[in-house]
Amino acid sequence: MAAATASRSGLRSALPLLAPAYLWLTVAIFLPLSAMVFFSFMTELPLSEKPWAFTLGNYAAFFSQSLYLTLLLASLRLGLEVTLWCVIIGYPAAYVLAKVLKGRSREAIFLLVILPFWSNGLVRIFSWAMVLREGGILDTALNAVLPFKINIDLMYSYPAVIIGLVHSYVPYMVLTCYLTLQAIDDSLIEAGRSLGASRLQVLKRVIIPLSMPGLVAGAALIFVPVVGSFMEPRILGGRTGTFYGTVIEDQFVAVFNWPLGAALSFILLAVVLVILAVASPVLRRAA
Amino acid sequence: MTATTRILEWFGRLYIWLLLAFLYLPIIIMALMSFNVSPFYQLPFEWTTEWYASLWQNDQLIAATWNSVEIAVIATVICTVLGSAASLALYRYEFRGKKFLQALLFPPIAIPWLITGTAMLIFFFGVGIGRGLHAILLGHVALALPYVIVVVSARLQTFAPELEEAARSLGANQWQVTRRVTLPWIMPGVIAGGLFAFAVSFDQFVVSYFLATPGQTTLPVEIYAAIRKGFTPEINAVSTIIIVVSMALMLLTARFFKFGGEK
Amino acid sequence: MAGVQVSNVSRSFGAHKALDDVSIDFADGGFYALLGPSGSGKTTLLRQIAGFDFPDSGRITIGGESVERVPVEKRRIGMVFQNYALFPNMSVADNVAFGLSVRGEAKATIATEVQRALDLVQLGKLGGRRPHQLSGGQRQRVALARAIVTKPRVLLLDEPLGALDKALRVDMQIELKRIQREIGITTIFVTHDQEEALTMSDRIGILRDGRLVQEGPPEEIYDRPKSEFAATFLGDANIFRGDSTGNGIRLPDGTAIAAGAGATLAAGAKASCAVRPERIRIATEAGTPDAANSNTLKGQISKRIFAGNNSTYFVERAGQTLKVIVQNTGMERLAEGQDVVLHWSPESTVLIAPG
Repeated sequence: MAAATASRSGLRSALPLLAPAYLWLTVAIFLPLSAMVFFSFMTELPLSEKPWAFTLGNYAAFFSQSLYLTLLLASLRLGLEVTLWCVIIGYPAAYVLAKVLKGRSREAIFLLVILPFWSNGLVRIFSWAMVLREGGILDTALNAVLPFKINIDLMYSYPAVIIGLVHSYVPYMVLTCYLTLQAIDDSLIEAGRSLGASRLQVLKRVIIPLSMPGLVAGAALIFVPVVGSFMEPRILGGRTGTFYGTVIEDQFVAVFNWPLGAALSFILLAVVLVILAVASPVLRRAA
Repeated sequence: MTATTRILEWFGRLYIWLLLAFLYLPIIIMALMSFNVSPFYQLPFEWTTEWYASLWQNDQLIAATWNSVEIAVIATVICTVLGSAASLALYRYEFRGKKFLQALLFPPIAIPWLITGTAMLIFFFGVGIGRGLHAILLGHVALALPYVIVVVSARLQTFAPELEEAARSLGANQWQVTRRVTLPWIMPGVIAGGLFAFAVSFDQFVVSYFLATPGQTTLPVEIYAAIRKGFTPEINAVSTIIIVVSMALMLLTARFFKFGGEK
Repeated sequence: MAGVQVSNVSRSFGAHKALDDVSIDFADGGFYALLGPSGSGKTTLLRQIAGFDFPDSGRITIGGESVERVPVEKRRIGMVFQNYALFPNMSVADNVAFGLSVRGEAKATIATEVQRALDLVQLGKLGGRRPHQLSGGQRQRVALARAIVTKPRVLLLDEPLGALDKALRVDMQIELKRIQREIGITTIFVTHDQEEALTMSDRIGILRDGRLVQEGPPEEIYDRPKSEFAATFLGDANIFRGDSTGNGIRLPDGTAIAAGAGATLAAGAKASCAVRPERIRIATEAGTPDAANSNTLKGQISKRIFAGNNSTYFVERAGQTLKVIVQNTGMERLAEGQDVVLHWSPESTVLIAPG
């Protein structure tokens, strides 16, 4: 109500409460992101002994060397594949949670699905290494059950990276889809059925359109970090695990070409922002 | 209930259990292997706590663990205080640019940590903040702060503004209103936000990785280095401890805050 | 205790004038209702008196002391909110104790005062409960106890009974009135329920579009409304419009209606008359109108609504639908479509200036 807040309005009252948090965010997030853009146009870091100058060379490197573009495309493809798998695996699970399970068991299982997401990602990726490698658990278990000898060595392969990433991110998809699916009134489904629609038709024409915001939110939340992932491909992909993220990592911790790393990071940031901008109309409708 | 419905429901449940198996089996296997005698994860399984014992001797890992805990605790305290204050201001006051400030909370959540982490590295190095535990703390607080503000704000949405008005009409000043009426109401949100902040910080790898120095490092960074050197059962053991701790933490959070919104 | 004076108070929100030059004198110890449709400014006025919001211009005094720039926490008022606004994290007793406790009163004093207040609202045994364990009526009583325990100078009630069901509301009206009498506190009460305003208050102020339309004792406003709005908003009224004859009006078709109350208007001016539906007699034939019921109109019943203790007849007459309420005496029931004669006394007819 206008009258309620009018007498207590104003930035002046809000500022003392807001300033510490936003100053912190400025120093630790917004200034660094701006600095990154700035440094990406330099030959060397200022402050270092070597002379430095402005240059477009770092961006030229990206566009002239097909390696970086290839890797960015590979990372985008990885992001797409992981997102797709998360939809395929996560959406049905969210549907079952929202519309089939009831009461306390639903709450408990929902919590179980979400729980790993907030546990340590690095450790979970590491646990897959143990399962997937030759002589690892999957190999041993299958050979113990099957009458013939097979060799399962998924470790250090593209599928291993996919499995690890899907495992890491599928709870996100379940969460966002569950929230939108749960908000769909059951009577809408019943109304659809009563009008003669089959289960599949109801799913296609009522449930999926209504849960679209959750799907898009989940997809954005998965796609963006996967494109920037480097730890998962390193651990599970080995030599095949070279992606755009790992190249950026190398610039900072191995090659020490920070300006190039900054340029590569900034290009990734631009791609991410475009993706978020494309997804945002749907997301805003959801909110 | 028709037969088809029953069969579909049965498949639905089966599917969920398969998903849970996919999510938990690797973790369970890792936990089991940390108690296995063979350092190369050979079966048959033989029970031992040897790896946990040797973990205890590993000064480097223990130091990193303490660093992680310390940073997480300090980050939690800072985030909870700054985040709750900001949420209150965003809830209570109307001013120009408020929408913009709220929108500013999403880049830190949405931008991949790789970008944020490298950006912090460049900036901190450039302005002389440098690397090390203090830089890691600076970064962790910034990463967790938006989560705290979002969670506490969500809780505040369920707060009836008349309660503050009622308290004022009874003669309470701004501080008394906040302390005795508003804070008790948002406390579950503050606690949940604090636990989120702890989890974000304690599990944070990417940003710590770029900001750590050889002497000043956190547990996940130490684990990553160890994994890249080669598997060791000790890493297994410490990973098991971490995952148990962080899951317990989230279970605790769930008690205070429903993920699916208020029902 | 203290009276409240509101003098020439105006308050705008952007282009919207929520209060437009409102002046009311709330006498010490009185029970005052502010009545009006939603958006009329009644709640805004209450919030100005409470101190949640300050007027753009005008003065507000409580007990003679000018308060229009004093924030709510320093005004020493008591307020009951529409949804009670009980603190969910505190017990009933702690809720009631809140005002005394923020003032820093001694624990023992607080305990006695709280018990006395809870006894007054007949909840003496429920101090340990939590608000969510109470019924709607009980919450209402707690809110009231909490508002009066600090011995405020004024008690402000914002649609306090709106959330209760009908039967409980009537009980609470009586109860509220009893408590108010017992402590003798100046009480200002916002409502959109005209019946509630009529039964409870010593005086009523009717607001519309931020302006005070009329104010006075309930009987006066009901019997002698000064505007068509006041006549139709508080109770029901038949409105006739025509030209003033000085002591009544002449309808466009030439019929004269004599008015025994209301404004004095020069002959020839536009004017209206208001007649309450229960003041009109209805008969099947003309008969001889006595002097007391000299206003007579002919019409035809278009609809009858039976409501047990009375019936409402809708009578068509020259394109106007008139409403007549007849007590159920078991005597005669008139049928729809019947031709009837209506008559009523000039004393029941109020002359209203055009507005």
